[in-house]
Amino acid sequence: MNNELPATDPRVKLLAAKIKKENFKPDALIEILHSAQNSYGYLPMNVLAYIAKALHLPPSRIYSTVTFYHFFSLKSKGEHTCLVCTGTACYVKGAQAILNELEKKTGLKAGQVSADNKLGVQVARCIGACGLAPVVVLDDEVQAKVTTDEIINKIIDKIGTK
Amino acid sequence: MNTIDIKINERSLKVLPGITILQACRDNGIDILTMCHLKGLSDVGACRLCLVEIEGINKLLSACTTRVASNMVIRTDTEKIKRYQRITTELFFAERNHVCSVCVANGNCELQELGYKVGMDHIRYPFLFPECKVDTSHQYFVMDHNRCIMCTRCVRACSEVEGAFNWDVKNRGFQVRVISDFDTPWGESITCTSCGKCLQACPTGALWSKDVVQGQLEKHPEMITELVEKRKLLLT
Amino acid sequence: MNRQEFKDLVIAETEKTKNSTCKHKICICCGAGCISSGSEAVMKKLQEEIIERGLQSEVEIIPTGCMGPCNQGPLMKYLPENSIYQKVDCSNISQIVQSQVIEKKPIEHLLLFADSRERPFSNADEDPFFSKQLKIVLKNCGQLNPERIEDYLVHEGYRALDKALFEMSPEDVIAEIKQSRMRGRGGAGYPTGLKWETVYKYVNDQKYVICNGDEGDPGAFMDRSVLEGNPHRVLEGMAIGGYAVGASKGYAYIRGEYPLAIKRFEAAIKQAKKMGLLGPNILGSNFSFDVEVRIGAGAFVCGEETALIASIEGKRGTPRPRPPFPAESGLWGKPTLINNVETFAGIAPIINNGGEWYSEIGTPKSAGTKVFALAGKINYSGLIEVPMGTSLREIVFDIGGGIQGGGEFKAAQTGGPSGGCIPAEHLDVKMDYEALVNLGSIMGSGGLIVMDQSSDMVDVARFFMEFCMDESCGKCVPCRVGTKMMHDLLQKICDNNASRIDLERLEELAVYVKEASLCGLGGSAPNPLLSTLRHFRNEYETRIGKYEEKHIEVPQTSEV
Repeated sequence: MNNELPATDPRVKLLAAKIKKENFKPDALIEILHSAQNSYGYLPMNVLAYIAKALHLPPSRIYSTVTFYHFFSLKSKGEHTCLVCTGTACYVKGAQAILNELEKKTGLKAGQVSADNKLGVQVARCIGACGLAPVVVLDDEVQAKVTTDEIINKIIDKIGTK
Repeated sequence: MNTIDIKINERSLKVLPGITILQACRDNGIDILTMCHLKGLSDVGACRLCLVEIEGINKLLSACTTRVASNMVIRTDTEKIKRYQRITTELFFAERNHVCSVCVANGNCELQELGYKVGMDHIRYPFLFPECKVDTSHQYFVMDHNRCIMCTRCVRACSEVEGAFNWDVKNRGFQVRVISDFDTPWGESITCTSCGKCLQACPTGALWSKDVVQGQLEKHPEMITELVEKRKLLLT
Repeated sequence: MNRQEFKDLVIAETEKTKNSTCKHKICICCGAGCISSGSEAVMKKLQEEIIERGLQSEVEIIPTGCMGPCNQGPLMKYLPENSIYQKVDCSNISQIVQSQVIEKKPIEHLLLFADSRERPFSNADEDPFFSKQLKIVLKNCGQLNPERIEDYLVHEGYRALDKALFEMSPEDVIAEIKQSRMRGRGGAGYPTGLKWETVYKYVNDQKYVICNGDEGDPGAFMDRSVLEGNPHRVLEGMAIGGYAVGASKGYAYIRGEYPLAIKRFEAAIKQAKKMGLLGPNILGSNFSFDVEVRIGAGAFVCGEETALIASIEGKRGTPRPRPPFPAESGLWGKPTLINNVETFAGIAPIINNGGEWYSEIGTPKSAGTKVFALAGKINYSGLIEVPMGTSLREIVFDIGGGIQGGGEFKAAQTGGPSGGCIPAEHLDVKMDYEALVNLGSIMGSGGLIVMDQSSDMVDVARFFMEFCMDESCGKCVPCRVGTKMMHDLLQKICDNNASRIDLERLEELAVYVKEASLCGLGGSAPNPLLSTLRHFRNEYETRIGKYEEKHIEVPQTSEV
């Protein structure tokens, strides 16, 4: 909270523009958080403080809203993300085994990010691509009917080693 | 003034339209268990202790949020309701780490009293033993999450009566916790006015003042009710 | 645009289509499923191929919404012969164009085909996957380009809105919907007409219409496909709803997980506004209606109407006790009509063809058709629409092509985490709201997951309980603590570590959480557990037996 956002940062300008577009309305909080997370990749504390001030919302209200929704993250999700869908169709087709193996091979549990911030492993509760189960989303790209080896190879392609 | 006829536990009553079932019960000396309700604060229907059966409605409804209607037939004392009150109480105790013997509120605790009322001689569910923090950073007060039952009376007292909005709730599911500001230590809050209303609103030993010792905590939740009543004078 | 201009435009567009020189049409599925399988690259390659052969004036390429059998994607449909090619690859484009377009011969081995069928069909309508379906909501999905409002106009688009605004009063519209006996497609099955009438009757200068597109059930993708495949149909339904109840503002709440649906729906709003089909004084009438998109942020409970309202207001998506219902006090305390995507998508056909027509489809208590999302161990997974009352057997074996890999059908899960499992002995159940409830499941929003012998039903119950535990908002005690307790007990049973007493406690808790919870999430969270207990109790017993073999039973209690 003590480190204010630099006004020259293009991301701050974007955020300010979004807040203005929403007419500083408190009920647009979730829309504004979406937009902030899009430009920052996650929601740093000083961004939340900035939003609180701009919308005249108490910090506790902002924090409670952010932590309620799975989409919002208070820490970096990693440069590359590997998101395993654990919806019912994927579950029936062995998503849990894929996740287990992936966790073992990357040394990362779901929700964790590697020490060098290169890779983050996440789970989703269903991305609605059930016809293609099991699916994994690598950097916003849906991989259909996957096997663990395929995913590991694609991750290696993306981040180099490991 | 116009009244309407309702029936609670076979008793025919005349009550004011628009009041809640809970109000109707309390006005007529019918005991109803509550935990998240505190007169003067908004009602959220979260603790589910005040569930009642209403003829013609196949769901149990919370008395604190349901308004009376003409010819409503209500039951507050069925076997099912009593059984559910007991389960709810057990779940309260099993959820966090409640150890009455070392608690500041021992003897002055609404949760403890609830245990006696429903005749809880033991708890059938495994304790969850979550890791909970004790925030002692505030100059005068302590927040002990081990004893919090998530009734959110403190949250509502802080926002609705004091207007400070220091408290809110973070996360969801069984991981919910009461937070101050950005989950910052209470002592570093930029919104808390140190008014102490949350302490008075709290039904357990979760919020207490540093100047009391074990078993010595006295609470006055009715203070919140009175404040709200007195505020109304400004509007007349 | 006023009414006359609208009519002229529709005539002009229809003429344009009729007089088109293109004798061949190739539709490429651009639903999220087929895009993930690579349909965009296929379309690019096809465009190149057509240009290379100089066939631009003869072949029209149409990117469409979902065609149905998603797991066979990318899908490509050739019209007028109606041959569907599956798993189309850039490498077979040239061959398909040569054979199908030039030589008029379908390529048998590339046609849509499930292992259980004897042969592929050169006319896809003969494939039981399509012939057993009745498409009302999905009628134009897979036919028209969802990003062009003109395509929708040619397919009767906004005709129902026009009819409602100029030939019907709000009361007439409501009467028509009531006559159709349509029930809300979000899961609970509340009569749509009755809901509209209730909102209509509350007098207020401001009312709202909300379209619930927070399709959170894992294994369900009906709303996504409808929003992606025919967004204008949903918009039209919302506008008609707004006219009927007297609302001037609508919100569409769409899951953040569906970026394509959001993009197409937002584009649809823009196009409709530009044509005067949305905004002030629609088609020159007195009715004004505006729609805004709100993006969900990943919370299953926001599918519950009061939680969804809180979320639109920018707050934590926690439900509040009803009554008062949103029809009386909803968004910002104003009377609010909330319907599901599929419900709104079904409105225009009812207005166009009449309530009576719709009411004759389906079963006496559940009229119309229902969209299901088939997934799991089934040959054709994807999107289907059938009349209410179609048997589960027909859906799984005729339409779905049977169990994948020749396995044996064990159960079908409907209603997601709020539903239950239907075992093999009930395969002939006629699927409608009541029949499913009688079997301990619910219709839900339409996810239908097929399981074979490899599924362990106790683990299935644990899976859904874990979901509900994670998605519980944490407000009321039964759901917050009860789902956690039930999950832990189920885990114990899965680990062969639970005694008979644990099972008894589990059952008691299940009934308690079902009845005492504040909202529908908690109220239905025990359903998968209760239904597997009902139909597959032996699997629980086996695991408890394993524990009892090793232990002498001691009742466990904890002291305060």
